[in-house]
Amino acid sequence: MINKKISITSLLIMPLLALAGCAGESPDSSSESESGSEDRTQISFIHWRGEDKEVFDDIIAQFEKEYPEIGVEMNIYPSEQYQATGQRMLTDGSTGDVFTSFPGAQFEAIANAGFFEDLSGEDFVGNFDESLISVGEKDGQQLALPYQLVFNMPVYNKGMFDELGLEVPKSWTEFQEMADTLLENDITPIAFPGADIGPNQFMNSMMMNNAPDEEVFQKLQNGEESLTNEWWVKTLEDFQLLEQKGYIQPDALGTSQDSAMAMVANEEAAMLATGSYHMASLLDLNPDLELDLMAPITVEESEAEYEGINTATFMLAINSNSEKKEEAKEFIRFLSRPEIASQYANETGQHLTVNDVEYESEVLQNTAYWIDERKTRFQPRFLITNAQVEAAVLSSIENVLGGADPMEAAEEAQQIVEENLE
Amino acid sequence: MKISKTIYLFFLPGLLLYSIFFLYPTVSALFYSFTDWDGLSDAYQFVGVGNYERALTGDSVFRKTVGNNLKFMLMVVVFQTLTALVFAMIVLKNTKANLFLRALYFFPTILSSVSVAFIWAFIYDPSLGILNQILELLGLDFLQQNWLGNSDIAIYSLAVTQIWFHAGQMLIIFVAGLQAIPEDLYEVAKIEGASKWQTFRKVTWPLLAPSATIVIAYTTIQSFKAFDLVFAMTGGGPNNSTEIIATYIFDVAFRSYNFGYASAISVLFMIIIAFITFLQFKALRSDRISY
Repeated sequence: MINKKISITSLLIMPLLALAGCAGESPDSSSESESGSEDRTQISFIHWRGEDKEVFDDIIAQFEKEYPEIGVEMNIYPSEQYQATGQRMLTDGSTGDVFTSFPGAQFEAIANAGFFEDLSGEDFVGNFDESLISVGEKDGQQLALPYQLVFNMPVYNKGMFDELGLEVPKSWTEFQEMADTLLENDITPIAFPGADIGPNQFMNSMMMNNAPDEEVFQKLQNGEESLTNEWWVKTLEDFQLLEQKGYIQPDALGTSQDSAMAMVANEEAAMLATGSYHMASLLDLNPDLELDLMAPITVEESEAEYEGINTATFMLAINSNSEKKEEAKEFIRFLSRPEIASQYANETGQHLTVNDVEYESEVLQNTAYWIDERKTRFQPRFLITNAQVEAAVLSSIENVLGGADPMEAAEEAQQIVEENLE
Repeated sequence: MKISKTIYLFFLPGLLLYSIFFLYPTVSALFYSFTDWDGLSDAYQFVGVGNYERALTGDSVFRKTVGNNLKFMLMVVVFQTLTALVFAMIVLKNTKANLFLRALYFFPTILSSVSVAFIWAFIYDPSLGILNQILELLGLDFLQQNWLGNSDIAIYSLAVTQIWFHAGQMLIIFVAGLQAIPEDLYEVAKIEGASKWQTFRKVTWPLLAPSATIVIAYTTIQSFKAFDLVFAMTGGGPNNSTEIIATYIFDVAFRSYNFGYASAISVLFMIIIAFITFLQFKALRSDRISY
């Protein structure tokens, strides 16, 4: 009888054990050690910046010291996984009291699902540069606060330019003359990582002056614009010219980010077609480089409206399903203090959207002028809110770099856009 | 003989796990395939067969992914099966050297798919990759390619990686199948004066058919579900040339937040695999061996 009971019990327990064994893969997590304290409120902070773990661990320790009644458990997920599953973790409110969001499609999806707590009117919103946080607004509500500011435009070897007597081109004609000079000196003008992030980064600066209307992608998704119109066909023709004249390296579509970075670090190429976030890594590879940012101006000087691209991203937000909203706000308030933001900026090599940040590193100081003194526009790609449309736009660039005619590539992409019109 | 009712409890764990991990998701997918659910909101609307209609008539990318998947599947099934069979025949006898070689061929199977993807992405890199460098060293520069960046050949480059990754696993199944064939039959064939090809065609292959059926069916399913390898090596690019159904489902569900449509594609995906596997079983007729 006893044996029978044991066997029945074990049968019931087995599936539970199996389920426990099947628990999902643990993300990289940091947790404070005093969670046993009953009067302490534990909040969850989720994001995708694995490279920032160390500095966040330090900032969280400072926060917990100042607010001993609040603990912060940080979980970091790889960005692809975060993009795919981040919003699902927010559904029951137990995870992600403070979370981060990408601008664009993810922001739209989370906003439509109602997971953003409205932060309008919170005192800490004033700690951020008003002109850089509009990407976190929707229907007049401040739903998220972008923390990082990156420039998604080519990084160039300023030292090499000085040595060759080259100046930053102000028009498409000057850009081609500059590229020809580099080729004459056996230097590839642009290292383009076409196998991964190249198309989605470089498309922004390549189209910024061909389509100065910032609502062009919104119109595309509404059916009011077409990829077969001049603004996009010209952009594709410009890409074709880069490929045909050898301004980007051969086999660019097979080149990974690491290979392209190696080309610039070894001074085989003059520009890296990614963004400011790679400057620190390039300097790690070659500390002697002198770097700055430069976007190709694809029109004549008189027609150019923009000089570069910015993206306010890593948008801090509070889960509307959270039961610990006040504690979560306290944490964002802490992150937006100038001294904490300065620590984060300097230790991660990022520009921030927070006011009064003091940049200490040379590369951040040297490029800070892009924040206030240059006319940049928000990354157009992030204004495409339908991921299938975004994929079609990017595919047309790959198609042209693979040898297709720009108009045919545009037509093929436009067909996909039309299939996905709301 | 009276069977105790307790015995039925032994079905419970399996039934429970099957229900949670297979039945429930399958029924859910079928249900959501008739909705416009975004995967996040509580609300959704029924759209009838709209999602299926869209996939079959109004989605050029989906049609392209089916074509890519068929190319990938055909290359992997044919070459992986042949490679595994040839190597299985080479390492059939249980000598020390063969045991070592079997372990060596099996080794890639135990690697994680993401590691394999990184290794092969490096091998295929047009400027730093060792494949093009080896070709150059051998004076075969004309064969150098942009292996993953050329949309005409990228899907085949991925298929080669898939074959390298899984051929060892299939080799083990073939070795087991070959070792189960009675020696007497080979002796009879020899006495009858059969050539090597005749022996293979009339003795080995028919008796190996059950193993071949498993290998081919498994390889087919595996090649349709090669999500991780494709995702990590090319992400479906360039220009959707390596986008397969599994990666497209991921894009639609998790990047476009269109779970309803992704569920409909998943159901179609299941039907495609089931249909192809059924055809293979019929073609191989593994149950009609008579000796």
